[in-house]
Amino acid sequence: MAGRDFALADHLPQKREGGQPAPPEELPRQRNGITPQMHGRYPDYNVLDEADHWDEVTRQVVLDRVDKVPEIRFFTAQEAACLGALCDMVMAQDRDPRIPVLNMVDAKMFEGKLDGYRYADMPDDRETWRRVARGLDAAAVQHGVTNGFAQAPTDVQHEIVQAFSEGKLHGEVWDELPCSNAWSVVTRGILSEFYSHPWAWNEIGFGGPAYPRGYMRFGQGQREHWEGAPASDADPVREDTPN
Amino acid sequence: MTVAHTLRTFARGSIRPPDNDSAFLLDVHRRAVPTERMARYGDDFEVDIAIVGAGAGGGVLAQRLARQGWKVVVFDAGPFWDPDADWVSDEAGSHKLFWTEPRVIGGQDPVELGKNNSGQGVGGSMIHYAGYAPRFHPSDFEVRTRDGVGEDWPISYRDLKREYERIELELPVAGEHWPWGDPHHYPHSPHPIAGGAEMCVEGARKLGIETRVGPVAIANGAFGNRPHCIYRGFCLQGCKVNAKASPLVTHIPDAIEHGAEIRGSCMVCQIELAPGDGPPRACGVRYFDPDGTERVQRAAVVAVCGYSIETPRLLLNSTSRRFLHGLGNSNDQVGRCVMVQGAPQVAGRFSTEARMYKAPPPEFSSEQFYETDLARGFARGFSIQTVGPLPIAWAEHVIAGGHWGRALREYMRDYNHWYALGALSELLPLPENRVTVTAEVIDRHGLPVARMDYTQCENDRKNIAYAKQTLRDILEAAGAQDILEIDRYAHLVGGCRMGRDPERSVVDSDHRIWELPNLFIGDGSVMPTQGSANPALTIMALASRLAGRLAAKKVQGAAAGGPTRRPAAARGTSP
Repeated sequence: MAGRDFALADHLPQKREGGQPAPPEELPRQRNGITPQMHGRYPDYNVLDEADHWDEVTRQVVLDRVDKVPEIRFFTAQEAACLGALCDMVMAQDRDPRIPVLNMVDAKMFEGKLDGYRYADMPDDRETWRRVARGLDAAAVQHGVTNGFAQAPTDVQHEIVQAFSEGKLHGEVWDELPCSNAWSVVTRGILSEFYSHPWAWNEIGFGGPAYPRGYMRFGQGQREHWEGAPASDADPVREDTPN
Repeated sequence: MTVAHTLRTFARGSIRPPDNDSAFLLDVHRRAVPTERMARYGDDFEVDIAIVGAGAGGGVLAQRLARQGWKVVVFDAGPFWDPDADWVSDEAGSHKLFWTEPRVIGGQDPVELGKNNSGQGVGGSMIHYAGYAPRFHPSDFEVRTRDGVGEDWPISYRDLKREYERIELELPVAGEHWPWGDPHHYPHSPHPIAGGAEMCVEGARKLGIETRVGPVAIANGAFGNRPHCIYRGFCLQGCKVNAKASPLVTHIPDAIEHGAEIRGSCMVCQIELAPGDGPPRACGVRYFDPDGTERVQRAAVVAVCGYSIETPRLLLNSTSRRFLHGLGNSNDQVGRCVMVQGAPQVAGRFSTEARMYKAPPPEFSSEQFYETDLARGFARGFSIQTVGPLPIAWAEHVIAGGHWGRALREYMRDYNHWYALGALSELLPLPENRVTVTAEVIDRHGLPVARMDYTQCENDRKNIAYAKQTLRDILEAAGAQDILEIDRYAHLVGGCRMGRDPERSVVDSDHRIWELPNLFIGDGSVMPTQGSANPALTIMALASRLAGRLAAKKVQGAAAGGPTRRPAAARGTSP
């Protein structure tokens, strides 16, 4: 494994030509637990190993996200296919294992757990999601794909999502649904579900729930003994980690 | 070094508030507020005051008046929290802390509500605030006179100084000696700060920007039966430790001990007016109890403490034959001049790990840019603080930079190398920025919901742009290798401002609605301006001052208010 030097920032999109990151496939494969697509920036860190240190109420909430994936109940099959493809594109989930983002969004919509506000020129969030599905399928038609956004080639999907993110989708649904507000509504939902999942915490090296244990070591470069070491810190000869 | 200074340093952290036992009334082994001995009042019993909202304003008002022997009932639309059972050490799982009933946002620069600034339940938004507790500066009370913008308050800093000191002791507030505004000390020593904060303090120092640790409403050490902070970083998700101050742990226990009743999950929908054609006066509140049954509680005085969205909404929904456009709204002022602070966040990437999820989000701050400096090209200023976003908040920060897909994932994987600073820009009060009600959308009780319209003025935009540049400069001086920023807002104040002139305000300097002798507003909505300080401490100080004036019967024309009997002694024994 040729570890990257994370003291440098040259893997970051804004530091590279074209604004795209270093390919995540160059990272080691996750060795302990699961990350989405198994990218291993912290290859030996599995936040679920710490579950015994969490308070019972929190443990239940977090473990349910892994163990109890809800069925799709709110979206129709066609909407679910389209929006599932959108979630995969926004989160770059191009292969398994995937965090079931749309199932989690669907549960929230089904239970009516909304965020406490909506834009004056927008419908209810539930209706916004449905219209976005129609709008993406319509955008696919504009690219010559008549059987839905989900069936469009990856580069077409990418192009449509790029336009969506820039507020540049037009025609049909989009003439009545402000594009950038809709982007804000759906990405808020997607990000909230993806980064509430412990597999995502493994990938980014987040400590996860911290009650009642808390933290003692938070000075520069300090880690608790159980916090994940990044890939490049692991000396392949010496098994122990720094600090 | 003076004798006073030495004594104060020696006594730091050991002084107990003389007239608030809340921290000692909590249980050592569980976090929930003991309610076994809480008073219960019948709907037909005329209590001395009904308070709508158990947040920063309502909580303090209840505690102060209960101590003076008033019979108090406090309503809150949200639950009476049990931190052990109801709260989780998890971002997405904390959704229920926020006001998630429908609301509509409009204007050129719509303000996102919900988790950003709106709480529900006993403790209010202070359950999920970060914990920063700065005072306002003396200049905040006279910005029209000094800077020709905004509005002067009908009271001055002097009217609140004593209240600030009392509240700081009760929360308590920890921090270094404060050199800005009216210089002052804090009762608790500053907390340790994390590695990322240390780097930014150093970056600021290189640019000649002074910073201080604090002021944070988290006890440094155990405080009564409230344990020491464990630096877990989940302040915005409700403090399961009871270390961070909120009215739930700082004022509600003492209010209950002195005979106040707290009714959680009770949504007040109307202020009731006394029948007949005499001078109008409030006689109680109509509310939905936890089962959804509509009831009316009689009260001699009513205080609305529902914050800047729900307070105007309740007044506007309280229509009657005599008040067709809602209470307090004869001059079309209710809901106007609602304000938020510009709260851009700028994050920097460092070669060493910062792990900003650890330690409380509020670490240090600077008020060096708080006052007007015309060389900057705009009136008033901003403060600099730290924010410590957890993964979901960090993802929102990243995507705001236009990064989605693989780019988003890469910045997220890089989380542990980033540290985020935030500014609080003072945005000016504008009459067109307003809370109204819209019958097109109703809540689960069938009540029209609030609509908030917000548009920035030119001064606001200049302020935010300058603040962002200052944050970038600090991060770069600290050695940041990459920068990501997001525009956002924080806090709410105004909407029912206090003033000297009924044509331009909703309440007088005693928080009393101009049209009724016994209806008061005791929350942040009365603020005519907001400074660039987090509002919690000032809301509490205002409520404390109001309580003092009501109890001393100094409020002009407020008849009926308060008990005729002598202050009731605390029930049970104080520890």
